Amino acid sequence: TVTGTITDKANAMPLPGVNVIIKGTARGTATDFDGKYSIEVTEGETIVISYVGYTTQEIVFTGQSSINVALEEDASQLDEVVLIGYGSVKKEDATGSVDVVSSKDFNKGAIVSTDQLLNGKAAGVRITTAGGSPDAAPNIRIRGGSSLNAQNNPLIVIDGVPIGNDNPAGVSNPLTLVNPNDIESFSILKDASATAIYGSRASNGVIIITTKKGTSGAPKYTFSTDYSVSSVGDGLDVMTGSEYTRFIQEYHPTRVDQLGVPAGSIVSNESVSQTLNGRDIYSTNWRDAITRRATTSNTNFSARANLFDKIPFRGSVGYTYAEGVVKNDNYERLTMSVKLSPKLLNDNLKIDLNAKSIFAFKNAIDAGGAIGAALAFDPTKPVFDRSSDNRFGGYYLTTFDDNNTFRRILQSNPLAQLEQRERPENVYRFLGNVELDYTMPFLPELRAVVNLGLDASGSKIEERFTENSFQTYQFDSNNTDINTNFLFNPGVNYRENQQITNTTLDGFLQYTKVLTDSFIDKYDIQAGYSYQNFKNDGNQDRFQYNLNSGQRERVVNPANPNFRYYNVLNLQSYFTRGNISILDRYLFTASFRADASSLFTKENRWGYFPSAALAWQINEEAFLEDSKVFNALKLRLGWGETGQQDITGVVGFYPSIPLFLAGDANSQYFPNSSLYSAQPFNPNLTWEKTTTFNVGLDFDLFNRGLISGSFDIYKRNTTDLLAQAPVPPGQALTNSFIDNIGETESEGFELNLNITPIDNDNLTVSLGGNISYNNTEVTDLNGLTTINAGGTLRGTGADLLRHAVGEQAGSAYVFKQVYDAQGNPIPNAFVDLNGDNQITDDDRYYTQVAPNWTYGFNLNVNYKNWDLSSSFRGQIGGNVYNFAQLNYGWTDSATFSSQNNLTNVLNFYDGSANPVIENVNGNIQFSDYYLEDATFLRCDNIALGYRFSDLIKDGSLRVYGAVTNPFLITDYSGEDPENFGGIDRNFYPRPTVYTLGVNIDF
Amino acid sequence: TDDLDTKPITQLTLEELLASDPNAVEGLVSRLYASFALTGPSGPGSSDIVSPDAGEGAFLRAIINLQDFTSDAMKNRWGDDGLDQLTTTSNWDRNNKFFRLFYDRAYYTIPQCNNFLQALDIADFPDEENIVAETRFLRALAYYNIIDVFGKGVLATELNFGQSDPLPEASRQELFDYIESELLAIEPVIRPTSNYGRANTYVVDMLLAKLYMNAEVYTGTPRWDDAATYVNKVINEGGYMLDSNFVRIFSSDNDSSPEVIFPLLAESLTSQSYGNTTYIVNGNLSADTMPLSQFGAAEGWTGHRATKSWYGLFGNSATELADSDDVRASLFWTDGHNFEMNDYREWTDGFPSTKFRNTASDGNGNPVSFSSTDFPFYRLSDAYLMYAELALRGASNTSMSDAVNYVNDVRTRSNASAITMSDLTLDFILDERARELNLEGQRRTDLIRFNKFTGGSYIWPWKGGTANGSAISDNYKLFPIPATAIQANPNLTQNPGY
Repeated sequence: TVTGTITDKANAMPLPGVNVIIKGTARGTATDFDGKYSIEVTEGETIVISYVGYTTQEIVFTGQSSINVALEEDASQLDEVVLIGYGSVKKEDATGSVDVVSSKDFNKGAIVSTDQLLNGKAAGVRITTAGGSPDAAPNIRIRGGSSLNAQNNPLIVIDGVPIGNDNPAGVSNPLTLVNPNDIESFSILKDASATAIYGSRASNGVIIITTKKGTSGAPKYTFSTDYSVSSVGDGLDVMTGSEYTRFIQEYHPTRVDQLGVPAGSIVSNESVSQTLNGRDIYSTNWRDAITRRATTSNTNFSARANLFDKIPFRGSVGYTYAEGVVKNDNYERLTMSVKLSPKLLNDNLKIDLNAKSIFAFKNAIDAGGAIGAALAFDPTKPVFDRSSDNRFGGYYLTTFDDNNTFRRILQSNPLAQLEQRERPENVYRFLGNVELDYTMPFLPELRAVVNLGLDASGSKIEERFTENSFQTYQFDSNNTDINTNFLFNPGVNYRENQQITNTTLDGFLQYTKVLTDSFIDKYDIQAGYSYQNFKNDGNQDRFQYNLNSGQRERVVNPANPNFRYYNVLNLQSYFTRGNISILDRYLFTASFRADASSLFTKENRWGYFPSAALAWQINEEAFLEDSKVFNALKLRLGWGETGQQDITGVVGFYPSIPLFLAGDANSQYFPNSSLYSAQPFNPNLTWEKTTTFNVGLDFDLFNRGLISGSFDIYKRNTTDLLAQAPVPPGQALTNSFIDNIGETESEGFELNLNITPIDNDNLTVSLGGNISYNNTEVTDLNGLTTINAGGTLRGTGADLLRHAVGEQAGSAYVFKQVYDAQGNPIPNAFVDLNGDNQITDDDRYYTQVAPNWTYGFNLNVNYKNWDLSSSFRGQIGGNVYNFAQLNYGWTDSATFSSQNNLTNVLNFYDGSANPVIENVNGNIQFSDYYLEDATFLRCDNIALGYRFSDLIKDGSLRVYGAVTNPFLITDYSGEDPENFGGIDRNFYPRPTVYTLGVNIDF
Repeated sequence: TDDLDTKPITQLTLEELLASDPNAVEGLVSRLYASFALTGPSGPGSSDIVSPDAGEGAFLRAIINLQDFTSDAMKNRWGDDGLDQLTTTSNWDRNNKFFRLFYDRAYYTIPQCNNFLQALDIADFPDEENIVAETRFLRALAYYNIIDVFGKGVLATELNFGQSDPLPEASRQELFDYIESELLAIEPVIRPTSNYGRANTYVVDMLLAKLYMNAEVYTGTPRWDDAATYVNKVINEGGYMLDSNFVRIFSSDNDSSPEVIFPLLAESLTSQSYGNTTYIVNGNLSADTMPLSQFGAAEGWTGHRATKSWYGLFGNSATELADSDDVRASLFWTDGHNFEMNDYREWTDGFPSTKFRNTASDGNGNPVSFSSTDFPFYRLSDAYLMYAELALRGASNTSMSDAVNYVNDVRTRSNASAITMSDLTLDFILDERARELNLEGQRRTDLIRFNKFTGGSYIWPWKGGTANGSAISDNYKLFPIPATAIQANPNLTQNPGY
């Protein structure tokens, strides 16, 4: 008899339930809750210790009194179970292109939202946040996205509940509504054979998020807390007060008397840098004025237990307080989750119950407005003016007086903008599901699975202004005394209430048969039905200022008194899937799905989406059986069609039926009647379809885990593309509407590689990396050559981006700049590309915004109790439009907006902007001068931790320090090249964050 | 399940609409008229047509942009994507969004009318005959703008509405014939009097007169006699009178002016648009050089200014303008501005026009963001000047003595000196139309009718892209057909020269 303890090598925690068997016999046991086992064994026999997700170890018994084994998690992941939609499969049996990112791979450091765990970790998944705010929206693109106007975000499924594409009001990032600490893994389904089972919403890939489960062993508790400090760098190089004074003296000498303020006219403890012609010149760094050193803290507690020895349970509570680096950008979140996974009726009924509650409290600032105002505000003006006749709560504002109003505001103080307004956006969300999985006792091959999900949220938004807020500053037209004819309107300026109720019901039957000594070793077939309903019901209180009295009053809209909106989307589907495994190495999968969407008319409602895939486990073949090189080698071939119908962002929820809309209170015409508009619609709308071919190879070479990875190459063709395009003039109720036109084609490849060159008891070094290439091109627009794709620049209605046939979707449409011999741009001189001796729109060319290449890599080192991890990501190519150059990079921009005030400019003295550009009239804004290469490498995070294994009995304590976003390498001269829309404008800076944290397991 | 048949709450089907509002038909008609002044149904930031900026999508704004900025009298300095090409009458191309905005707005109004005419077939409504006639008038007005500006298009009617195959191209002659037949058909049917803001017999007559007046340009065949028939009808039977106060016609109380035949309505609270007279009033103002409140505005957009081709007709300097007795000479802001427009992008080059304002004719009115001044789309003094022109062109049923009287009525109303028969020439008429009607969306059509728009016989500041003006090619008599229209309907062909 031998006894021992089996532990997890990574954290020295005992592992319960580990299989301990004697090779070649029927003798076996499993470890208890403390990881202990005891087994009869005779000398010379081999003990096999195996556990799902860990590398199996074999030890020959030579009379040892005890055998303790530290099992190591299998780096190759090939034994992992991956979720594939309505079921799961062992990774080695998967036939589709599926990436799994589990907790040990997650990004470390200051993590507020779930997407941050994943960024850079999976090939072909590009996550671009909208900036550095705690609730910034992530734009997630798997393989680039294939639609033009339809939804391009992937489908996100959290514990079996597909999340709606409509975020609750007040939520920019739906993934902040899950506690990152609860996440166990992401399964990312990329090719159609993997996603087709999700049919209707799967064209852009699927991210399945699984939260951590309970235990079947002894209770375990985890407590973790971290504290972070964030700060931002200097940002764009606008002029300081003294540089700006010199600039105005040299370039706009007639405006020198607008610099600073009349000496002694204000009261401020800011220091005057110089006095010029009787004016006090200040030197204010407005970026510093609106930003701060921000702190973030996360505290989480979770408990895992086996309730009544029967019900595995996990519960967690988490609290996050996160400050943005822009002042007053505050985010607070409380999360609670419970997961119960009991087995009843002789284990025939497996129940999985999840309930998550989230309360989020945010103060939504107008970050873009404040950042833009801080760039533009004259740096020779002070921040504060405490003089007694200041009306605006002590904030300095650029004003001027005319004969009717005394102090008309010309330029808004960005700090006052942030501090005189608050906009609490409070959201409560409940996300829960119960899954019943019943194996028929009379026919154990047959399972019935029913899943009921609810995603309900309530949002409450209110916008309020303080007593002296300049944003509510109004004039009373009935008062002719210019010293008293003003008033402020403190209090509520906007309200919104919203209820979202999304319900899901899935049910399927699955028959699984395992055969022995047969050509077919295993097959299964399943069929089911899915129902999803998304309802978004809300109303708003809007206000306006009375034109005479200047008082704020509620807008009354007779046709829709409380500005209600009511949006419902309903999706229903039937699906079936079969798997066959032949000779233990050939795996076939086929699926078929029929989907209906309420966005289309009855006739066009149903779409049909087949898929098929084949996997060949080459390493099981006889010729590789004894190979020392190939531990695993699998070839995958996949084909499938998926659908897209979500065009609600462009044309709302009822685009196929004729409807009339009543005009708002301010959109009336005849005085004594309402106004009813016939709304455009398109009864012919139907599914956009994407066909994907995918070839993939999974490999694990040399010693197990030394080199492993996967390579996928794919081609994707989207037809019946839902795009907003011009309609034949006069033949529809508007000029442009959504229709099934055109095609896009994507191709690309992805490589995931993991290398573990050193792996011994004391030291493990592992390297992981991924790189992917994607090119999505518009191949047909049904006769059109180009359609507008947005991207507003300067002035009204100047758009940068187009979808054009033969080009990447959403390409910039620009002129080629002409430069003089010194390399300076010649304003409004462009290359005559077509050689017709005139410069017209025909001389513009297309250049891509989104990059083709994205990559990420990470290095992890474990030495004894030390662990070091780091991750990096970036892109190669792509362009970003430097909007600050367009807005502040010409010498006349200092005096452009009004003859009564000055605005700051980029620094013309150190090369940050080129003084040959005096103005931006004409087509210069469409010059490729403003487009810059967006190639970058960002260090996402570096974390160093130490584990005290003996400090706590039966537990461990780990302390760590991390730095997030420590550096960025790029040639881009603007704020940040990592930009989703391609135009870098008033960008919320991504901070560098220093984190200290502790995890305690006990 | 039935859940797939989702039902909206805030939008209604036609049946629900008719059941819920007994006055629904009025609301549907209101919408068709509103297409000329509003940009969309959900506030000034909404747009009926898809365009990069909602505010640009109103019919009136498109008319001002294409008829006035391309001509001698008005220039804009913003440099918005494609706007400089209008202001400098140069570098026109099929991708210019301002041409598209005009085209798309006209072809928004037309199918909205067709859709409504189809809906009217469903059931009987009170006053249906008159409502049908009004709808056909509005559709004809949209088509008139198409043939004036683009020369051709498609003929979309209630009969082919709903057809998805692209319609064939309709020539200028075909569209002319259609508009003529429509107007002749409704002229005897539509009511002779109407509520303010709505079409009646004389509004229809006015459009017929405009159509015939420009028939030579549109079809090659002059129709002066027919034009005179309907001008006479407006003058003699319409019951309109010249307003004794010229300024009132362009002030917020112009709804009480006896001169206005067909207004486009604006109301600062209930009918807001960046494309009705708000565009003209705010566009000509700037807090940099002008007291906004004097004109009842809360915003000055620092955009439009007149040129000396307009105010030069009253005098050769700011001082001469100030000394002029002509009321119309006083409607320019000269303080801080230069007479010459050396750089159209420079706000202080050229005088802003203060003809349109948002105060009442007595000067009262609180400064607000949106204008309450209606736009006088057709007014009597235009009919008087048309009569005089027709007399000079030898139309039957006109006399030179009446012509002189009408012109003097127009002039003396503004304290301008009376003229004699010998003064009355076609060139004088063109200038008088400038003094009287500029910034009312007529100028380009007038210049083309007098053959002064293209070529080099008449130049104005920034014509052809040069500060002093230069000749432009004859193909500029028509705008290019927007590229988007040709792409969406391959039956359409481009105008020559583009």
